Amino acid sequence: MARARTLGPIPLSWWGGGLAIGLILIIATALAEPIGVSTQYVVLDGVLLHALAPATVAQSPYLEKTAKGWTLETYEFFFVLGIPLGAFLAALATRRLSTRVVPAEWAGRFGPSPAKRLAWSFAGGFLLLFGARFGGGCTSGHMISGISQLAVSSMLFTAALFAAAMLTVRYLYSHPNRPNLPNREGRA
Amino acid sequence: MKLLLGLILGGAFGAALQMSGASSYTKMTNALRLRDFTIIKLILMAIGVGMIGVNLLDALGLANIRIKDLYVLGILGAGLIFGVGLAVSGYCPGTALAAAAEGKPDAWATVLGGLLGAAVFAFLFPELEEHLLSIGSYGKVTLHGELGIAGLWLAVPLGGLLIWLAFRLPLKEVDR
Repeated sequence: MARARTLGPIPLSWWGGGLAIGLILIIATALAEPIGVSTQYVVLDGVLLHALAPATVAQSPYLEKTAKGWTLETYEFFFVLGIPLGAFLAALATRRLSTRVVPAEWAGRFGPSPAKRLAWSFAGGFLLLFGARFGGGCTSGHMISGISQLAVSSMLFTAALFAAAMLTVRYLYSHPNRPNLPNREGRA
Repeated sequence: MKLLLGLILGGAFGAALQMSGASSYTKMTNALRLRDFTIIKLILMAIGVGMIGVNLLDALGLANIRIKDLYVLGILGAGLIFGVGLAVSGYCPGTALAAAAEGKPDAWATVLGGLLGAAVFAFLFPELEEHLLSIGSYGKVTLHGELGIAGLWLAVPLGGLLIWLAFRLPLKEVDR
């Protein structure tokens, strides 16, 4: 699956993207509230569970408190809904839509198996949101919004996040001949 | 009106993430391996600009400030778990949504895993709150609050430093 990349170049520079995100944060803070994403995963869970299995929802006061009124018609949810919409339109306009399952970088280290990549990205997503809800925010809410507001909790979260992420990536990528991981030819 | 505002701001955020390469597994992984500083420079720039702007708004009484509680052990543990998730998936909760919309199936898996992780947390929360989240709890602590000064006094030099760092770091771009 590690086919050659035929996508166009990245259309926005780091400073253009950073400036845009900083300005979005400033506008959001003035007109509504600082940006945040991870809470809305809980809200969507709550609304879905409330519709499908109302009895289980009653066991989580956290869910009831977070998904206020069991509705998705909030500013916060629509902000998060906007992210895939904006990303889709941007990718469409710049011809960067992609259906690759296994990133080339991953395939070069862990082999071309789509099932393996999907399983690990699912596990990664589980840890991301478990951690984000545990800490009360993610890259948006803690790192970008929180540090901008000079919040100490957000600085601590960010420091722990980068330390763990850099060590994990180093562990994952720095041992090409580790026996129980696949080698560069993709053998298990 | 509020819903439309949310959709527009979120849409701009998603487009910015997508167009600057933040929703790329390769870019994120190489950022964490210190081989491609695109995303690091982008984050430094975003926080630098945001910090100065938000604190300027606050000085004018126009900011809707939301400070998150500091509970040392919980925040540290949460950051460590989140960091491992970021390293394994190559996405964060926001960029996973952007990458999923680009059509990448592994990002869909990350979003689904995230929904499960958030649900598990929601049902474990009462336990965690009782045992872990109360350790080292200090409430809504900010740097400027501790010093007893207006945020702008710190935001201008600190935000300026972050922007300077963003420009100063090499790009080391690996676009594969």
